Amino acid sequence: MSAASNASAAAAGNVAPHLPWSVRAEMLVRMLGIQGAWNYETMLGNGIAFALEPALRRLPGGRGGPAYRAAIARHSGYFNAHPYLASVAVGALARAELEGTPAAQIERFRVAAPGPLGSVGDRLVWAGWLPLCSVMALLAFGLGAAPLLVVALFVGLYNAGHLGLRIWGLHAGWHHGLRVAQALANPVLRNGPPHVARALALVAGIALPVAAQKLLGEGRIWLGGVLAAVAVGALLVTRLQGRFEGWRLAIYVLAAFLLYSVVR
Amino acid sequence: MALDHFRIDDRLIHGQVVVGWGQPCQLGFLVLVDDAVVDSEWEQELYKMGVPPEMDLYFDSVESAARRMAAYREDARAGMLLVGDIATMAALQAKVPDIHTVTIGGIHHKEGRRPRLRYVFLTPDEEMELQALAAKGVTVIAQDVPTAPPIPLVDVLAGDGTG
Repeated sequence: MSAASNASAAAAGNVAPHLPWSVRAEMLVRMLGIQGAWNYETMLGNGIAFALEPALRRLPGGRGGPAYRAAIARHSGYFNAHPYLASVAVGALARAELEGTPAAQIERFRVAAPGPLGSVGDRLVWAGWLPLCSVMALLAFGLGAAPLLVVALFVGLYNAGHLGLRIWGLHAGWHHGLRVAQALANPVLRNGPPHVARALALVAGIALPVAAQKLLGEGRIWLGGVLAAVAVGALLVTRLQGRFEGWRLAIYVLAAFLLYSVVR
Repeated sequence: MALDHFRIDDRLIHGQVVVGWGQPCQLGFLVLVDDAVVDSEWEQELYKMGVPPEMDLYFDSVESAARRMAAYREDARAGMLLVGDIATMAALQAKVPDIHTVTIGGIHHKEGRRPRLRYVFLTPDEEMELQALAAKGVTVIAQDVPTAPPIPLVDVLAGDGTG
């Protein structure tokens, strides 16, 4: 279907025009590399244009035409959002471009969308799904699962979540177009993070002592030392908050462990 | 409390604002000042999605923000006013002269802009607009998150994008 017929279909109401599954699949695969050209100037911009490109070939004039070139240039500019939820923007922008939405309106969407997409994604994934998958893998380890199974559980669970989110996001973005706020009002996204956080607290509460027992063994020889190290670490993190970056502290601790394992 | 954060950020509402500033400063409300957004229902819907339920979000034009400034300042909750560009902040400050401090939270790359900090890119005209604000007695600083040190305008303009 051409851009003109897409536009007329949309004009009949907010019915999403047709986008072949092969094009959607290509966009989805490209979204896996959306951070591949991340930089401080444009952040996700290059990745957004790269993911959109299969849809933009359907603009009047085809690949290399003036509309295609203008759209690629537009979407390569600054854009910052959660990398998984960026799929919502990719779907919405693809529809807007193929429906011939004015460039000024598309630019305004590119300013408005990153905030909500970043905010929802951060709460749902970085503060929810990722730590939840980690503590579930930790629980499996504590319960005696083989190392390969623990890794497979984490990788399988986490990837199922983010792939599902990307597939949903692309579909929701295409379906709602620039009115994508309706999709972000989805109860899973609005109310999901607190539920995930509660589940995380529950599983962490079970997993941490079970995994600690697995690591320390029944004899509890190391228990006092480990608890003291945890207390000192917590005190350090609290006292140095705002003055010392966490990754530096983690590297120092790792270096100390390495040194200890070499000299003992 | 009350409205005492005036921020220029071309991303307007995003994680740094809602979480980075919102939690430590216990922000109860945000005022988004933009002459186009104030008339755009779909943009307002999008911005609302980025704000947690416990935080209020108000949309204003430069005119209406100036008119309501006294009410915002009397609000018992802490608040932050956001604009997307320097020109909007300059227009607001012209109507509300007792805006004494303006924070640059993020002005990102665009054609013609030079890097000054990692999160601040400016055209020569924008640099002059900031200097004009400073000349009127406004303290202009750059600070993306509360844990980062505030950077005075003179240091921002001397930067090369690596700071």
